[in-house]
Amino acid sequence: MPWALRGLRNGVVTTHYPCRLDPYAETFPAVVQPLVPGSSNLDAALCPTGAIGTQSESLRVDAGRCILCGRCVRERPDLFGWVPGSCTARLNRQALVVPQLPETAEAVELLRRQLAARIRRFRRSLHIRHVDAGSDGSEEWEVLALLNPVYDVHRLGIFFTASPRHADVLLVTGAGSHGMAEPLRRTVEAIPRPLVVIAAGTDAVSGGLVGPSYAVAEGIGDLVDVDVWVPGSPPSPFSLLHALLLAVGRIPPEGR
Amino acid sequence: MSRPAVRSLGQDSVAAVYEALRVRLANGQRFAALLGRGDPATGTVLIALVAHDGDVTPLNATLPAGATRYPALTPQLPAAFWYERAIHDLVGLVPDGHPRLDPLVLPHRNDGSPLPRPGAPGQPARIDPDEGALSVHLHGTGVFTIPHGPVRSGVFESVEYLVETPGEDITHLRIRPHAKHRGVQKRFEGMTVEDGMLLAERVEGIASVAHALAFAHAVETLAGAEIPVAAAMIRVLHAELERIANHLDVLGKLTEAAGLAVATARFGLHKEHILRLVGALSGSRFGRGVVVPGGVTALPRLPAHQVTTELDRLQHAINGDVRALLDTSSFLDRVRTTGPLEPELARTHGALGPIGRGSGYADDCRVTRPYDGYQQLAPPPVPVRGAGDAQARMQVRIAEIETAFHLARQAVGRLPDCDTDRLSVVMQAGAGHAVGWAEAPQGEVLYLLELDCHGQIGYCAPRSASFHNLMLFPSTFVGDVLTDFPFNEASFGLSIAGLVM
Amino acid sequence: MMWLLAITLLALLGAGLIDLVAGVRYAMPRSVPYLVAAAASVLLVVVGAAGISGAGVRLSLDSTLGSGALGSGALGFGTTALAVDRLSGLFLVISFAAAVPVSLVCAAWVSRPGRVRYRTLAATHCLTLGSVVVIITADNTFLFLLAWELLTIAFYLLAGFQRTKADRADAAIITVTLGKVSGAALLLGFLLLAARAGGFSFAQLASVPRSGLRDAAFALLVGGFAVKVGLVPLHVWMPRGYRAAPGPLRAVMAGVAVNVGFYGMWRTLELLRVPPGWLAVIILLLGGFTALLGIAHATVQTDLAEVVAYSSIENGGLISVGYGVALVGAATDRPPLVAVGLLAATLQVVAHALAKSLLFSATSGLEDATGTTELESLRGVGHRLPASGTGLAVGALTLAGLPLTVGFVSEWFLLESLMQQFRIGRLSYALPLALAGALVAITAGFAAVAFVRIVGLIVLGPRGPAEAIRSRDVGPLGTAGLALLGVGCVGVAAVAPLWLRVLIAGLDPVVGRDVAAGALKSEWVLQPVYSEFSALSPSWLVIVMPVLLLGVLGMSVAFGRGRVFAVRRVPAWRSATGGVAGENQYTPFGFANPTRKVLANLLLTRSTITVLERETGGRTGDPHRSAAGAHLGYTNDVVEVVERFLLRPLHRPLLLAVRGAKRLQNGRLDAYLGYMLIALLAVLAVVAGLA
Repeated sequence: MPWALRGLRNGVVTTHYPCRLDPYAETFPAVVQPLVPGSSNLDAALCPTGAIGTQSESLRVDAGRCILCGRCVRERPDLFGWVPGSCTARLNRQALVVPQLPETAEAVELLRRQLAARIRRFRRSLHIRHVDAGSDGSEEWEVLALLNPVYDVHRLGIFFTASPRHADVLLVTGAGSHGMAEPLRRTVEAIPRPLVVIAAGTDAVSGGLVGPSYAVAEGIGDLVDVDVWVPGSPPSPFSLLHALLLAVGRIPPEGR
Repeated sequence: MSRPAVRSLGQDSVAAVYEALRVRLANGQRFAALLGRGDPATGTVLIALVAHDGDVTPLNATLPAGATRYPALTPQLPAAFWYERAIHDLVGLVPDGHPRLDPLVLPHRNDGSPLPRPGAPGQPARIDPDEGALSVHLHGTGVFTIPHGPVRSGVFESVEYLVETPGEDITHLRIRPHAKHRGVQKRFEGMTVEDGMLLAERVEGIASVAHALAFAHAVETLAGAEIPVAAAMIRVLHAELERIANHLDVLGKLTEAAGLAVATARFGLHKEHILRLVGALSGSRFGRGVVVPGGVTALPRLPAHQVTTELDRLQHAINGDVRALLDTSSFLDRVRTTGPLEPELARTHGALGPIGRGSGYADDCRVTRPYDGYQQLAPPPVPVRGAGDAQARMQVRIAEIETAFHLARQAVGRLPDCDTDRLSVVMQAGAGHAVGWAEAPQGEVLYLLELDCHGQIGYCAPRSASFHNLMLFPSTFVGDVLTDFPFNEASFGLSIAGLVM
Repeated sequence: MMWLLAITLLALLGAGLIDLVAGVRYAMPRSVPYLVAAAASVLLVVVGAAGISGAGVRLSLDSTLGSGALGSGALGFGTTALAVDRLSGLFLVISFAAAVPVSLVCAAWVSRPGRVRYRTLAATHCLTLGSVVVIITADNTFLFLLAWELLTIAFYLLAGFQRTKADRADAAIITVTLGKVSGAALLLGFLLLAARAGGFSFAQLASVPRSGLRDAAFALLVGGFAVKVGLVPLHVWMPRGYRAAPGPLRAVMAGVAVNVGFYGMWRTLELLRVPPGWLAVIILLLGGFTALLGIAHATVQTDLAEVVAYSSIENGGLISVGYGVALVGAATDRPPLVAVGLLAATLQVVAHALAKSLLFSATSGLEDATGTTELESLRGVGHRLPASGTGLAVGALTLAGLPLTVGFVSEWFLLESLMQQFRIGRLSYALPLALAGALVAITAGFAAVAFVRIVGLIVLGPRGPAEAIRSRDVGPLGTAGLALLGVGCVGVAAVAPLWLRVLIAGLDPVVGRDVAAGALKSEWVLQPVYSEFSALSPSWLVIVMPVLLLGVLGMSVAFGRGRVFAVRRVPAWRSATGGVAGENQYTPFGFANPTRKVLANLLLTRSTITVLERETGGRTGDPHRSAAGAHLGYTNDVVEVVERFLLRPLHRPLLLAVRGAKRLQNGRLDAYLGYMLIALLAVLAVVAGLA
């Protein structure tokens, strides 16, 4: 009984996202982007993971490689800047690269239609099985945060399930350690189809700072077919929520 | 900070190191780690780290080229059990007389095929996991094994607990953590100090700040640098906020195991607020990018008074829920006498952090080997409980939340008086070895760091509290049944990422 | 009809003789005695049915055998006859309806090669059945006791038959010892009554007026029968005796012959009418405790035969509780309560006879094919032995009291009968009734655990290794026997109202059929005699439950648009583990371990872990330090509390007493003359004193 009263203490703390914009989600520094189109001579050591490069005479940042250390913004504030907002998930690995190429946009649109056809049966209920394939532990915290009263994904019909037999979505964190390759394959095998796979975090997308090496793959794309890519080290809960909603087609693929 | 900077590696024999270790332990010093490096073909070094008031001393023994075996330490010092398994995994040395050389941090084959040896210089061969079944350790009528993991029921890090049970009782527990080995130690090699800093933050993601601090301390020791007071205070602030978040996470997991949904939600809410506060201060919800060798990157992005107000508000809210939790008898019944860790075992093992302190053994390096702002601030009271059960560990954590708030407020309070123009010192770390430490929420984190003459990392061995403490986990299931498992696990509050790295 | 009875007895005698003459030497006739016994059993069911209908079959031994050894005149035991009244008829039908399929299973069992090495097994089978016939139909104390002792001998022979079994000698001795205790109690009880009645026929015994003597006789008789039923503390022979007996012959003991114990109790109530109140209370409480103890042990035993044997004790307890309700009704002169108690108990007798025969028959099939009755070795064998496996499942579900089986009907009736305790104002009865109700309810719960273990792990469990099966399943004859019993378990429930009419007719001598007829609320609906309390229609369940199941299946097919058939098969989810050596799923032992812990006070569970390794994980003194070394030894055992704390302590004083008594029997003529002189003097002194 005391707990029931305690539960009412703070009133409604839950976000209204995605029905309404959430101020925290809007201001969260989730992506680094080049500020100017032109290329420039860059120090190779500027980015520890090689997310920054030049392509066809312009700077590009691969959000899928970026671990959000902010070194580039600190060292070259003239070229790079934080972009707030949490809609960072994409349906295509290439779409994480900014600026985006036009053909990538077409590919994304195709993927979106294919995904929509595949997941028609999910309706408004979504069950997620999470697998850690070599994360640093912080991704698990952010995934678990989705269950706290602030994000409370249950209100959206999203649930975490212990058994892969009940799962619709496989949420994979970590860079894909070789030791987890076989357990991950067994999990994928145990999940009924249709199945949507989300690679959560920069490690899962590209291996981040630890992959590839003798012990880990270059992201989990080597191990399973990924449908949704979420960058971030770790991705914030709003980014994860964006990925989940994107996976089931409840928001437009390009949130911003 | 009056630490001797560069220490030379000794050339003592293994026996001499063991004798020195024995004498030091008999004098009340603590065995902190046993590490190995090198290649048996070209010569290897065993490094025992001994912690005592004021410093952590490495004791080195060099094995000649071609030596693949050495006398095991474990028979004399059970705490070395996992360390020697890890050495076997990473370096390929065989400790003679070791009771069980099962794979620990690295999957490998027991059929005599060569080990990957990422501990040796050069690129090791790709891991080819051996999923061959391990033999059982418990024999008797109807005894069977329940595998928990590696893909566990819920959002957990991957680890495989094998419960050998005759049904209901947890008679014997084995841990196979190697599935998520990421090769972090190898990854450090050849990195610049700045990049190493980023990797250190990702060794044990939930204790990013503590790992960053331990790494930074090692670098600063090598450089003989003294960091600005403001930076020291900012480090304390973030370290203590991280402690609060971790302990709230443990409380949330404990209440979730008991099915107290409202309590789980409340602690989840508080934890989210702490993470948001950290995010508001630093831009990262885990305080990443704050600590750099020589200081910190930036001032907190919120003014001090606003931080203090927020801390007061959070502490008030958390205290109310903690009080309610301590009045919930149905919950206390589940944690009381669950997962008892014998005080004697905690002492001889040198159990770290809240786990040691729950069993009457306290070694808090914020007090015994103070660093950063802890040197200037009043030393925090170290809560100690003697019962050794999950409840004692929880009580220690609750008390630590209290002191963490106090320390964080003190640190913020000092900030306006500090010179905040200079937040880091420019320094040039020379080649050499150093040990850095910090008190993570899980317990003491140690970094043994070697820089080469180019300022690059030659060798970096993190030792997390998770590694040292999880060794004790199987010893704490006396009289416990399967349903006690989540309580005991949550009360340990460890990270697998920090264990296998 | 009376000739039919004579023919069956002669047939059993002849069958026994065939076995004794040709049983071992020739394989062909080995199954003949059992087939003859099966035929005789069919005839006996017919005789019983005639008895229930009130035809009054009576085979007078005075006229049949002239003035032979059993005759009236010579020994003065009164007229002797085999008489089948309604009650006898009912028990003939119950016992021999089970004996028919059991005999078939036995016939199939002995015809397998290398099966029988010693003679007398079929003869013992016939002796058992014959004794049962005589016990149930005897109208005379003397004949009854004679057959009772014969049955004791038959049990002794059965328990001691398998000479290669290690614990056979103990089992046979404890079986015969408690058999003798039972015989002695019956003898004393009958003699007490006969002394007052002045005759040995049952009709004369009934005429003894109510007195302390009659109460004592009532208690002695019930106590004597309780041994056969397995009531605490006289149950200790049961698990051992049953387990030691060979193959399906266990079914003869536990499914067929055990019914004479119940018959005796029913007959006692019929003759003596009003029991002492304390006896009713004692039977209720002992019955409840027996049920709990029996099911507790059945849940944790590791041997299938022992599990089934302990469930016999449990059922003995349940039936005794129903009988206790009837005794309370009789003591307080409430015929409806007698009716509901007896109906519940008799239904349970029926369920037990069918299910126990089925379980033991199926057990023998499994044992035959795998060479063991250890549960750990029997896991998943049901897949490869469909007949025995299905039999085991049906029997187990029946005794677990699940719907669609007769066990459900009987257990419902029993609990309803116990709930009538509010109708008795007196606390001294209401309290034991409530307590017994609680014990029965707990028992029902644990019965589910006990039998789910059997069904779940042996029949439905993951397919066991093929090499566990050494020979084929029971064969067509055995399958027929198992099928008959299985159909009986479900069929009786389906036509429960009809069957209840048979019971009501059969119980007429004990409780008037006009009273008992209250158990039928309407044509197809049952109620616990008292109306407006509760009602149940097992027949309706038999129709509705399959329909619901089909409905659910149909809906899932319809709404799933046929996708339920598009199945992708993957291994069972095991946390994605790479596997471990050894057992990696629940064992029968492990499944029962929570029970072992919950009932630790009753079972005195002890478990020990032998530390074979040092703190660090190495095996002490093991030169080969590898992952392959053994490290910990786990043992666990439970204690039979009654045996340990009641009977074992009695053992030594009893032996001392016997030794003292033996000293009197020293074989010296002068000593015997001395005893006679002392006795004479004592009598004279008493007479003189009274005068």
